[in-house]
Amino acid sequence: MMEIERLRKADIFSGALVVLTGMLVILQAMKMPMKDSYGGVQNVWYVSPALFPLLVGGMLILLGLVLIRTALKAVGLEGIRSVLSFICSSELFSYFKEENNVRYYGVVVNLLGFVFVFIPHVDFFPAAILFLLVLFFMYYCGDHGTLRTLLKCSLGSITFFGLFFFSGLDQKVSATVSYPGDWLTFMTIAILIVYGVLQLRTYPEQARRFRISLIIAVVAPFTVGIIFKYFLLVPMPSEGLVIQLLDTLWYMEF
Amino acid sequence: MMIFERIGTFFGIIGGMLTDPVSVAVLFGSVVLGILFGAMPGLTSTLGVALLTALTYSMDTELAMVCLLSIYVGGTYGGSYASILLNIPGTAASAATAMDGYPLACKGEAGRAIGLTTTSSAIGTIISMLFVVSISPLISMFALEFTSFEFFLLAFFGILISGTLTAPDLVVKGWISGFLGLFLACVGRDQLQFFPRFTFGIPELDSGIEVVPVLIGAFGIPQIIEVLRGHEVKAKMKELQRIIPEIGTVIRNIPAIIRSALIGVGVGAVPGIGEDIAGWVSYGTAKNTSKHPETFGKGELKGVIASETANNACVGGAMIPLLNLGIPGSPPAAMLLGALMLHGVTPGPMITFEQPTFILEVAAILLLASMAMWVAGMILAKQVVKILKIPTQLFMPIIGILCIIGSYSLGLNIFNLYLMLPVGIICYFLTLMGYPIAPLVIGVILGPMADVNLRRALMVSQGSFMPVFERPVSLILFLIIVWMVVSQFKWYKRLMSKIKSLLFRKRSHNNI
Repeated sequence: MMEIERLRKADIFSGALVVLTGMLVILQAMKMPMKDSYGGVQNVWYVSPALFPLLVGGMLILLGLVLIRTALKAVGLEGIRSVLSFICSSELFSYFKEENNVRYYGVVVNLLGFVFVFIPHVDFFPAAILFLLVLFFMYYCGDHGTLRTLLKCSLGSITFFGLFFFSGLDQKVSATVSYPGDWLTFMTIAILIVYGVLQLRTYPEQARRFRISLIIAVVAPFTVGIIFKYFLLVPMPSEGLVIQLLDTLWYMEF
Repeated sequence: MMIFERIGTFFGIIGGMLTDPVSVAVLFGSVVLGILFGAMPGLTSTLGVALLTALTYSMDTELAMVCLLSIYVGGTYGGSYASILLNIPGTAASAATAMDGYPLACKGEAGRAIGLTTTSSAIGTIISMLFVVSISPLISMFALEFTSFEFFLLAFFGILISGTLTAPDLVVKGWISGFLGLFLACVGRDQLQFFPRFTFGIPELDSGIEVVPVLIGAFGIPQIIEVLRGHEVKAKMKELQRIIPEIGTVIRNIPAIIRSALIGVGVGAVPGIGEDIAGWVSYGTAKNTSKHPETFGKGELKGVIASETANNACVGGAMIPLLNLGIPGSPPAAMLLGALMLHGVTPGPMITFEQPTFILEVAAILLLASMAMWVAGMILAKQVVKILKIPTQLFMPIIGILCIIGSYSLGLNIFNLYLMLPVGIICYFLTLMGYPIAPLVIGVILGPMADVNLRRALMVSQGSFMPVFERPVSLILFLIIVWMVVSQFKWYKRLMSKIKSLLFRKRSHNNI
């Protein structure tokens, strides 16, 4: 949680967002049948599907306003002025570049990339290995400089993979090479490992951490994935190269 | 006769579980897993229950409950390891334990402290189990008299009290969080007319927001971001000597244990209030009632007993409203509710009719889990603490994978992931800005109950709110809600302090 003074300043904006949310809820609720008929049923106001959203929206507006009032009383107009001048100044950019925030972007970018780009299109195992390896490298092995470099690389590779999948290029390539997304992910993993080895070879402690990371990044997805796929019989979101290989091994009749 | 029959059924269930090797293996495995989860700073019992919900999906309900309740009990206790040995609470529930546990470890008495927490945690769970068995039938019978207005007000009360007591900053933020949860609960086709609300034409939203992925996102993702965003904490671990059960110390402190257990059960029974508050309230009470409060914070055994008994007693306390009213008493209980719903069990007043032995089953599992926890704590503590040496940076990304695959596996729906992650990121920001997450979760769970019962009640009364004032329970609930809101105003606080000072003055005049 933030410190109290910053919190009160942030409360003005979060309160405004709450009010806005409440207004949107009410606006949407107004489009719902109130007294008119729906599905052949003549409505009365107290059976309307809009009743509860209207109550919730109204309460959100009220509570948001109370929060803004409390925050304004605490920081005064001077507080708002300082927040606005902070937003308009170059300080905002240096705030965004603060180490804690960069660490935050690292987690969020990789989580978003994993969920929205890799999981639906790439075999679970290479996708999970890449995800773990990047995060271990960022937060366990490397320093802040490495984290920044890896964040840029993550952004670049997620954009590349996103374009590759969402433009339909993967479908075209798969006519000649099967599972192109999986192969590309393996290539990315290989590049990352080479980069890690070259980057950390002069730092014995970091190199040791990298070796540990590498082992866990491979073992963990296989443990989790095999439990879900073969013991709990949960088909993976996208099944490709590795799962085909595992299926062949698992269902092989000796 | 009825009581003897229930006791017979209770021991029958215990016997059945103990003679089934799978149940015993799951019981011990889950307790140990829970202890590991609790012990690792950053991992909580809520997260443990959330992740195991996906794994227990294919099990039968009884085995799933053994698994989930055992991890809950183990996780609540496991937090004390890091508190005592590292002075970093493994879970929020054991934060109060660190106050005296770590000074004890500094004196070279870590083994004694862990022995004491193990025994008092087990006793706390057993006492709370007794409450689950004895109070549940009474609450169930009482709740059967409830009409739709009472259920609507009860849901509203749950959200408001959870917001009031869990808000780390302003109470209004707790309430906002609760109403945001209610808004999320509105998404999907409404249950009375099947009108699509806030679905924006997305067919996956028609059936409403899936509770379990939202809970996994709300509890798991902020935890992952929080731990990875912060820097690696390197605390020197205190050495752990032989674990001593400390039965003698426990017997000498029986009154304190009973008081702490009662506090734990009481706090646990309040909707949405977790083990952390139980631990602190009990610790504070022990300190205030002690003849030597100055010894607290310097390695006082009573401090460790108070917090650990209360936080584990909270587990049973949280089960009381969950099983009888369908209102979760704590965040892990909210996860349990989600798991129960997945298994087709609908907790509430009708549970005693629909599944007459279910509450006894839960009580039996709590008893067995507390015993398994004691045995595991005594035998495996030295091995378990080794996990504290593993950096959390290695754990958290794996937890991320588990959150993702767990959310997906519930319904094999990739849309669950598209829901879980944004909810998790939003919840992280909310936590950062002082909004508690528990009321939001309670709001998501109780939203449908509040919505349907409000409209059903108004249908019966033809749009009149008068029955609220005509029925005693609803009137009491309404007055409590009004009091809860009014008591936050400054003028009310001023009025109360004036009344207090007037009364005090009168009393001192009378004394003169």
